[in-house]
Amino acid sequence: MEERMDVQNNVCKEGICCRGIGKHYGSREVLKGVDLTLEKGKIYGLIGRNGAGKTTLLSILSAQNPASYGEVLLDGQPVWENQAALNRICFSRELNPASGLGGTHMKVKEYLKLAGMYLPGWDKAMAEELAVRFGLDTGKKIEKLSKGMLSMVSILVAMASKAEYTFLDEPVAGLDVVAREQFYRLLLEEYETTGRTFVISTHIIGEMENLMEEVLIMKDGSLLLKENTQELLDRCIYISGRKDDVEAASREHTVLCREMLGRGAGAMLLLKPQELPDPGADLTVQSVNLQKLFVAMCGEELT
Amino acid sequence: MNHVTVSGNGGRKMHQILTQEKSIYIQIHEMIENDILRDIILEEERVPSTNELAKLYSINPATAAKGVNLLVDEGILYKKRGIGMFVDRGAKEKIRAKRKESFYRDYVSALLCEARRLGITKEELKEMLFQER
Repeated sequence: MEERMDVQNNVCKEGICCRGIGKHYGSREVLKGVDLTLEKGKIYGLIGRNGAGKTTLLSILSAQNPASYGEVLLDGQPVWENQAALNRICFSRELNPASGLGGTHMKVKEYLKLAGMYLPGWDKAMAEELAVRFGLDTGKKIEKLSKGMLSMVSILVAMASKAEYTFLDEPVAGLDVVAREQFYRLLLEEYETTGRTFVISTHIIGEMENLMEEVLIMKDGSLLLKENTQELLDRCIYISGRKDDVEAASREHTVLCREMLGRGAGAMLLLKPQELPDPGADLTVQSVNLQKLFVAMCGEELT
Repeated sequence: MNHVTVSGNGGRKMHQILTQEKSIYIQIHEMIENDILRDIILEEERVPSTNELAKLYSINPATAAKGVNLLVDEGILYKKRGIGMFVDRGAKEKIRAKRKESFYRDYVSALLCEARRLGITKEELKEMLFQER
């Protein structure tokens, strides 16, 4: 136990670290004791089904929402009611005029001006440049914006905040495919020049899988997995062939899903690092993308 | 998938598409090797930086770096501090030798496996290999 604390303390000297954070609304538990360390200078992808707890996690990490239990630390200091720590974190939420929350009757430029007052690192020049780049009509009221434009405002605020730790909640949800590519490029540009840490939740997994250095998978309020994306994909394979061959090859590994069709079978395997299945049998081995892996882990309704 | 036709590295072009068949860093590694074999990048020339590759293919710079570092470990690229990565002298020959070595595993064994599945005899296979194209 003592040793474990030591390890945690070491890790917590730099970066965001949370220990056993949870959240319940009445008897409904939306976050169940999440332990997580976010290192400085990485792009994290946060994926999970609707209701998995992604937004709750991000809002607790940025102290916009109190945890029911557990603690969030930035460089070893609690973030709750700690302005110095919060100045380094920005959670740019999805704007939703239908929520009835304040601010949506404002014009975009007024909203951005306000953001500039609240966010200590605000880069006004960048905000103006991005508004032009996105073709945002800043004279328009927030409530009159299209879904895509609302997403652009959240992205703009996140980027121009220049916060060391920036969280984006489904930033591309309302964007068309070209605008999404625009966002991915902008993200890489910003990451390259500043080395800021980003945590980005998304349902469009295929487009983000090569951008996220590490992936966080959430399910039912828990963090199911946190791993380097490429290493995770390297150890996930899909094998198919005769049923007995597939079964024999699967035996030593974690089987994420199985499919049977007549005498044939397929299985998605998660191998332990440095382990490959016996290539002796006549099996087809295919690589798996993150979306397929995610569905195998979190889509039990499909089986 | 990213189709890339971007001019970079002194006006030379890289046109390749990333697929989902293989790890991204392995593809980056192979693409640079292919460019060296094809004289698209010459020995003692600079290869695109990690950040250039990341932007070109919309991938995380750490992944691009992983591919590039594999080439450094193999002595195909070398680092000039503060300037970038360069193709080492003799790199082309090194890549050829390495690929020859893995040729059996990468191509021949798959060929034999498929031939076995189809019931192609050794004689038939030989004939195919030596027929004029």
